[in-house]
Amino acid sequence: MDHRPQAWGRPRDDVYGAYDGSYFQNSGPKFATQSPVVTGTSVIAIKFKDGVVIAADNLASYGSLARFTNVKRLRVFLDTTVVGFGGDVSDMQYLDRHLNELAIDESYENDTTETAAATTTSSSDPSSTSTQTPNNPAGSLNAANLHKYLQKLLYRRRNDFDPLWNHILVAGLDASSKPFLASVDLRGTAFTSPSLATGFGAALAQPIMRRYAATEEDAAKLTREQAVDIIKECMKVLFYRDARSLDKYSIAVVTKDGVELKEEEQLEKQSWAFAERIHGYGTQTV
Amino acid sequence: MFRNNYDNDSVTFSPQGRIFQVEYAAEAVKQGSVVVGIASKTHAVLVAFKRNAEELSSYQKKLFAIDEHVGIAIAGLTSDARVLSNFMKQQCLGHRLTYGRNMPVRGLVDMIGSKAQINTQHYGKRPYGVGLLVAGVDEQGPHLFEFQPSGMTEEMVAFAIGARSQMARTYLEKNLDAFADCGREELVRHGLKALKESLVQDRELTIENTSVGIAGVSKSKEDGSSVVEPFKVFDGQEVNAWIESVADDKEGGGDAAGEGEGMDVDA
Amino acid sequence: MVRRRPLTPSSSFPPKAPCFHNPPSAFRTPNESPHNLGYMMQRVTNHHTHKTTDVHRHGLRSRQLHLLPDGRNFQVEYAVKAVENGGTSIGIRCKDGVVLAVEKVVGSKLLKHSANKRIATVDRHLGVVYSGMVPDGRHFVDRARDEARAWRDTNKTPIPTADLASRMGGYMQAYTLYQSVRPFGITAIVGGFDSELELPVDGEVGYGPSVGAGGKAPDKKHGGPFLYMIEPSGLYWGYYGAATGKGRQAAKAELEKLDLGGAGALTLEQAVKEAARIIYLAHDDNKDKEFELEMSWISASDGPTKGKHQEVPKALREEAERLAKKSMESDDEDDDKKDDDKMEE
Repeated sequence: MDHRPQAWGRPRDDVYGAYDGSYFQNSGPKFATQSPVVTGTSVIAIKFKDGVVIAADNLASYGSLARFTNVKRLRVFLDTTVVGFGGDVSDMQYLDRHLNELAIDESYENDTTETAAATTTSSSDPSSTSTQTPNNPAGSLNAANLHKYLQKLLYRRRNDFDPLWNHILVAGLDASSKPFLASVDLRGTAFTSPSLATGFGAALAQPIMRRYAATEEDAAKLTREQAVDIIKECMKVLFYRDARSLDKYSIAVVTKDGVELKEEEQLEKQSWAFAERIHGYGTQTV
Repeated sequence: MFRNNYDNDSVTFSPQGRIFQVEYAAEAVKQGSVVVGIASKTHAVLVAFKRNAEELSSYQKKLFAIDEHVGIAIAGLTSDARVLSNFMKQQCLGHRLTYGRNMPVRGLVDMIGSKAQINTQHYGKRPYGVGLLVAGVDEQGPHLFEFQPSGMTEEMVAFAIGARSQMARTYLEKNLDAFADCGREELVRHGLKALKESLVQDRELTIENTSVGIAGVSKSKEDGSSVVEPFKVFDGQEVNAWIESVADDKEGGGDAAGEGEGMDVDA
Repeated sequence: MVRRRPLTPSSSFPPKAPCFHNPPSAFRTPNESPHNLGYMMQRVTNHHTHKTTDVHRHGLRSRQLHLLPDGRNFQVEYAVKAVENGGTSIGIRCKDGVVLAVEKVVGSKLLKHSANKRIATVDRHLGVVYSGMVPDGRHFVDRARDEARAWRDTNKTPIPTADLASRMGGYMQAYTLYQSVRPFGITAIVGGFDSELELPVDGEVGYGPSVGAGGKAPDKKHGGPFLYMIEPSGLYWGYYGAATGKGRQAAKAELEKLDLGGAGALTLEQAVKEAARIIYLAHDDNKDKEFELEMSWISASDGPTKGKHQEVPKALREEAERLAKKSMESDDEDDDKKDDDKMEE
C-alpha cells in the first residue's frame, strides 16, 4: 500500500484505475474555461409602445440534466433596467454581483435629495411579484449606458481568451426615455432590434416575434397586453421544442414607471396533443 | 522664512488645529487673476481676466474645455492646473468610451477633490496651488463647482476666485436671485460686470484680456432628451460684443439695486 | 475594467521616506539625530550658539514621530482641535433605526442650496456624518466605501456596522503612527441598520437551503440599528447618542435627556424631530453664522426607508425644523421670564 502523503484519501489505482493525467496542465499555454457548465437557455424580449417585455425560464441545466428549477435569470439593475442572462450560470452570478457593485457606485454619485420611500431592497426575495418604482434620479446609468458597459466588458474578456460565457439581453429605456433593447454575447458582439432572443429562441421565437414587430414602427404600435401575449406564446413554443427548457418562467415589463417583475409564472394552455402524431421514435412501430 | 514651526509640511497640525501649508496654497490662488462663474437654469458661464507678463507678450489662457460638456477656469499655479485638467480630460474621455454618455460633473469634481486631499495628508507631497471653477452641464442641468487646494469642492450658484475676487463676489451676492432665470447673453453680462468689480482702478476689459466660456443644456422639443450646447471658449474679437454691452455701465454701478460705485481697492 | 481603488494604503504608506525629518530651522538638535532614539529631552543646548531653548520641544510637537515623555501624541490632539471648530454633527440610535444630522455652516451666500451633501451613504444600509475638515471626511468616506466593497466581495453580504467601525478605526489609527502622514482632522459618526431579515447572498441563484444562505438561526433576533463614533486617534465606541463638533457639549447634554436605550425608547420619527431640535440648540454656539440642517435616517426593512440609508424626506425635515424653531422660541420666552423674576428680587 502506498502510504505517502500524495496518496492520502486517493482511491486505489488497482480498483478504480489510474488518474487521467491529461487533466493536469503542467506545461503549455494557460487557458480558461472552454465550455460552460451549468447553463440557462433562451432569453426573449420584444419592444412595445411604452417599453419592453422580457422573459426567461427558471431552469439551469447541467448538460442534459434539468438540475436547478428555481433560477432567476432576469436581474434588475437600479430599478430601471432588466438584464436577462442565457449561458453559464456562474458567469451570470459574477456579472450580477459586479452590476450590483456598479449600482451601489452609481447611487453614491446620485444621492437623491427627495426620495420616494417606496422601493424594495433586494430584488431576489421569494415573492412572485415585485413592483419597483424608480428610485433613480436623472443622473444614473440607463439601459443604453449599461449595455455599452457590458459590451466593453465582454469584449475585453474575449480578447483575454477568458470569456464570460453568456448571451445577454438588456431591456430598458434610453436617454430619451424610448424603449431600448439590445443584445451582447460572449464574444462582445452587440446589436439592437425591435425583438431579440438568445439561444434556441433566436431560431424558434424570433420568427414569431418578427411577425408582429418586424420594424421599429410596428413595435411602436404594439400595446403592452399584445407584447406580453406574444412573449407568452413564444415561451410556450420554446417549451415544446427546446429540450433544455422549463414551463416555469420569469417575465418582466419595463416602462418609464419602473420594472414589474414576476418570477413564478407558469405556462398556460399547453397542448401536447401533437405528440401523438409523431411517429418513428421509441416503441411505436406503426 | 517660516512664520512658525508648524508650516513646514502638510502633515503637521498647528496647536489650533490648522494646516498652514494648505492655507499657503490658498494664497497662491489669490495671486492669480480673477475668474468668475455663474450658473442659471439653462447655462453655465465662466469669464476670466487674463494677464500678460509684459506689454508685448501673450496673455495667459485661463479657460479650458475639458470635454464637450465641461470647462474650467483656473487661478493660481498654471502648471498645477495643467496636471488636474489632464486628469479630468482622461476621466471624462474614459467615462464616455465606457458608458456612452457625458460624465456627471459632480463625480468628476469629487475625483479631483480626493486627489487634492491626498496631497494634504502625505509627507513629501504639496497641496495643488490652484483653484478651479468647473462649469458643466449634465442630465440634471448646468452646474458650477469651486475647487480649492484643500480638496474642498462645493457646488455654487455663482462664484469668483483670484486677486481681489471679493469685490466680484459682492456683486454676485447682490444679484443672486436674478441668475436662475437669466438668458445666455444676460448671464455673460452679469459675469463681465462682476469681473469689472475686481479690476484695478485704471484697468478696463479689452478683447485681449477677456475670455468667456459658455456651456448650455436644453430639452429637445421632440422627445424631451437633453441637448447640450458644447462648452466653448470665446477670445479676441468674439468677446467684443459682450464687452461693449457692459462698457456703458459705470464701474461697479451695474447692480440691480443701483447702489452706486462699489469700492475699488488698489492692488 | 472594474472600478477599484487599492484596498491597502498606497505604496507610499507606510513610508519609504526616512523616518526623520531634518528640521529646517537653524538648530540641529542632537536628539533628532538617528543615534538618539530613546529619551527625548525637553530643553536642549544648541552647540553652535550655546543657547538653551525650548524650540526642540515645539519641534517634537510638529512631528508625529515619537511619543512625548508624557505619552502624548500632540498631532492627534491638534487634530481634535480641528474637529472642535467644525459644525456640529450628531447621531441617534433608537429602537427601530438610526438618525444622523449635521449643522452645515453656510460659508458663502453663493453656495447652491441643498446641493452640497455632508452625510454620505456607504453601501446601502450605512450612513456616515463627520465634523471637522471636510476633505478629510471625504477621504474617510471613500475608504469606508472601499472597505464595504471588499467585505461584500469576500463575504457576498453587506458589511455589519460594527465591522465597518472597526476597520475605519484601524484606518484612522494607522495615520497616527508615522511621521509621513498626519491624523485625520475629523470625528466620524457611523450609523447603520444591519438587516434583521434572512437576506439572500449576493448573486444568489435559486433559494438556497431552508435555514437561509446567511446561516441565521431561525428563532433568534438578528441585526438592528447601530451607531459608532470614531475620533482622530482611531478610538471608537458604540453609542446610543453621539455628538461632535463645535456644539457637542450642548448636544450631548440634550442627548442624555432622551430615552434611547430603555423600554420606552424613542421611535424613529420622534428621533428625527429630536435631532433637529438638538442641532438647532447646538447651533447657538455658532449663532452668528447661517446654517443648513441636513438629516438622514435608516429604518428596518418594514420601516419608512426599507433598510436603506436615505435623506429624511423634505416634508418631515421641514416639520422637524418648524418644531425645533418653536421650541427654541419657547426656550427664549422661558429665559426672559426667568430674567424678569430675577429683576424683581
